[in-house]
Amino acid sequence: MRHQKALKYFATFFCIITLNFFLPRIMPGDPFYFLSSEQGEVAVTYSQEEIDRFKAYYGLDKSMLAQYGSYLKGIIKGDLGYSIYFGSDVKTIIKNRIPWSVSLVLLSVIIGGGVGTLLGCLSAWYRGNASDKFLYSIMVVISEIPAFLIGIFFLFYLAARQGIFPLSGGAKPFADYASWIDVLLDIARHGFLPTLTLSVVQMSGFYLIARNSMITIMSKDYIITAKAKGLGTRRILFRHALSNAALPIATQAFYSLGQAVGGTLLVENVFKYPGLGSLMRQAVMVRDYPLIQGIFLTVTLFVIIMNAAVDILYKRLDPRIT
Amino acid sequence: MKKSKITKLLAAMILIMAILNMAGCGAKTTEKSTGSTGSQSGSLVIRLEGGDWGLPSPFAHYSRGPGASKMRLIYDSLLEKGEDGLIPWLAKEWTISSDGREYTFLLNSKVKWHDGKMLTAQDVKFSFEYFAKHPPVSNSLLIDGKPFIEKIEVIDEDRVKIAVKEPNATVLDRVGIVRIIPEHIWKDIDDPKKVMDLDKLVGCGPYILTDYSQEQGKYRFQAFKDYWGRKPGVDVIEFIPVSDPVLAFENGEIDVLDVPPDLIDRYRNNKEFKILKSPAFWGYKLLFNMEKKPELADINVRKAIAHAVNVDELIEKVARGAAVPASPGYLPIDHIWYNPDVTRYDFDIEKAKELLNNKSLNLVLLISDSQQEARIAELLKINFAKAGINIDVRSVDMKTRDSCVKNCDYELAIIGHGGWGADADCLREVYAATAACDAGPTSNVICGYSNPDINRLCKEQLAELDEQKRKSMIMELQKLISDEIPILPIYNTIDYTVFKPEKYDGWVHVFDHHAVTHNKLSYLEQDK
Repeated sequence: MRHQKALKYFATFFCIITLNFFLPRIMPGDPFYFLSSEQGEVAVTYSQEEIDRFKAYYGLDKSMLAQYGSYLKGIIKGDLGYSIYFGSDVKTIIKNRIPWSVSLVLLSVIIGGGVGTLLGCLSAWYRGNASDKFLYSIMVVISEIPAFLIGIFFLFYLAARQGIFPLSGGAKPFADYASWIDVLLDIARHGFLPTLTLSVVQMSGFYLIARNSMITIMSKDYIITAKAKGLGTRRILFRHALSNAALPIATQAFYSLGQAVGGTLLVENVFKYPGLGSLMRQAVMVRDYPLIQGIFLTVTLFVIIMNAAVDILYKRLDPRIT
Repeated sequence: MKKSKITKLLAAMILIMAILNMAGCGAKTTEKSTGSTGSQSGSLVIRLEGGDWGLPSPFAHYSRGPGASKMRLIYDSLLEKGEDGLIPWLAKEWTISSDGREYTFLLNSKVKWHDGKMLTAQDVKFSFEYFAKHPPVSNSLLIDGKPFIEKIEVIDEDRVKIAVKEPNATVLDRVGIVRIIPEHIWKDIDDPKKVMDLDKLVGCGPYILTDYSQEQGKYRFQAFKDYWGRKPGVDVIEFIPVSDPVLAFENGEIDVLDVPPDLIDRYRNNKEFKILKSPAFWGYKLLFNMEKKPELADINVRKAIAHAVNVDELIEKVARGAAVPASPGYLPIDHIWYNPDVTRYDFDIEKAKELLNNKSLNLVLLISDSQQEARIAELLKINFAKAGINIDVRSVDMKTRDSCVKNCDYELAIIGHGGWGADADCLREVYAATAACDAGPTSNVICGYSNPDINRLCKEQLAELDEQKRKSMIMELQKLISDEIPILPIYNTIDYTVFKPEKYDGWVHVFDHHAVTHNKLSYLEQDK
């Protein structure tokens, strides 16, 4: 049974890394060809000889199959290759970016999940009230707004208008910090808006799920019994109802971790946050195959691990599942 | 009980993440200790829009964007681009032999590398030879993809002689801008692309790189106090990440802004600000594929299309007024060799219909996914339809469009690129190349087109060393091209740069580039 599961994960992983390899290469365009540039920009141009030389340097002159072989070999060895555009080791580039993105994702899922679940519970308890209706309609609207739009709103309102938060970046450039606390505060100040943006998006998802499953639970006999016993609202809600409604919420939590990776991609670009998302955008734009592969691989691993965690957690939460 | 556990867990997680981040911070910032680092009070620090454009080594900066200009702050060249043309730089004088095959450069003495060693003629020779073996990102030592230098000789400690294979009008331009790198740093390095160490970035230019972060896209350059040439006017240049340049400028985070045309009025008639208008060296052009659509080989069809383009409307609606109509002879109005007397094609739908004999034409127009191009395409579509030319607009991402154009897999295409201010030899690369020998915007073959007169003139101008004679050839060539319109240049954009002169007022444009922040002269005191 366990072997079967592991095999399944392995097969998924294999399919994905294969897609990772071929998809970017099927896209038209190549990393050395710059016919046009963005407005106001000048791109360097290469002669055919130089292009051939670069291709040989990066091993792109070999057949697709041979490249695929060395790519697989690299992955087994933990070598993700060398970025064409950035001119450095893919592993190092990604390693330096991961902490930024991971903190955004985790923090926003925790904060958004907490607040969203709480509001969802309350909404379910006061179902039908004006406050429930109000909250519900707002959350539905938020859940449909793309993350980057919310980000732009915060950027304009809280950073540009009010000047409370910095406009961009992950830390103040060239700052002289007096102590570690200053460093922490600076990072927190820079990370606040991106985290807030993602949390708001996450919150709506959690709210809807929590409200739904709570409403189902609320009509169960044991809740009526609990109410009849005269237990307090808080106790009924969080002890009796929430623990039984936890399964879909937990699923949502892990599902959102995967989804948040997609969200950060756009939000990081809004705030020029130095994470994986802004890196990925650039990598795709310049057809940097090794880097695209590296980033996809990282994200894939993350999502697969999260899925595996859901499986394990499920068993914990609901002993009926084997 | 449970709650406090959760709180503890949360707190621990936040702490871990903060630590992770700090570890990231520590890893990503490579700083160089040069003793002179650290901003002293009273020194002029200029902050500019950053973003990651690669380590500014000749081998490692990125091929797009302003990576090369940052690299040039560190490394000097024999000549430099001035406001009206090439000016003496590391080489204070040069002579060209009468057969046009030997160039002798007399170097400035007392030029110091950032590490205190002296620059020698041998360093110059080494640089050219090293670049031949290990091409830099931006390589000017090739003509049509082939090396043209035959031999480099050190004559004495101040003089270097470069012999070329054939006389060529563009040699000085190409040789002059080659970066000079120190032999004592690079001689033992076999793979310069992998050099990522700030300590290796020793140049003889006016600035030293003291800090660079790839993730955050920030750079810090400090003036080199023993610089041999003009005195640096800015003590420290910092490039910082910016999400919205206008907001950042308004907040005082950056000192220079390329202001969007719609916002110029905000800074006009205000003593606090100064606005500089750039030369129009970035532009859009419409490509005709005469191989795939033989109809386009008919000159009347091309002329009809030219008459159906309402350039003024495009400039007003798409460029918001910040552009000038492109010349049908290609070289833009601000080019030093622009010919004002080329054939023009006014917006005239009736004329277009007449030229088409009232027949209709169906074409697919390929564009990238940029908003500007989409707007141009939609406006073209409306006017074209009135003239009986029905176009179907296809939008793909930039790299896909470029690859389709390269492979002649399009009917009509719009591309936008810079470099229109380059040496007039770009006419040859655009209009007379017989094979795509280069992957540049100015050197793709026009699919299915070749004109013997254009080809002949292009070839002759390249070999003509007399500047006046060459210039008149270029004038003639532009006229010929405007009659033929094998490509239809649409418009060239203008940038407006805003800054506060009270803080720093040294910004200048050089003769072939549109951005004040990209040239070295902007950061140096003016020659008196």
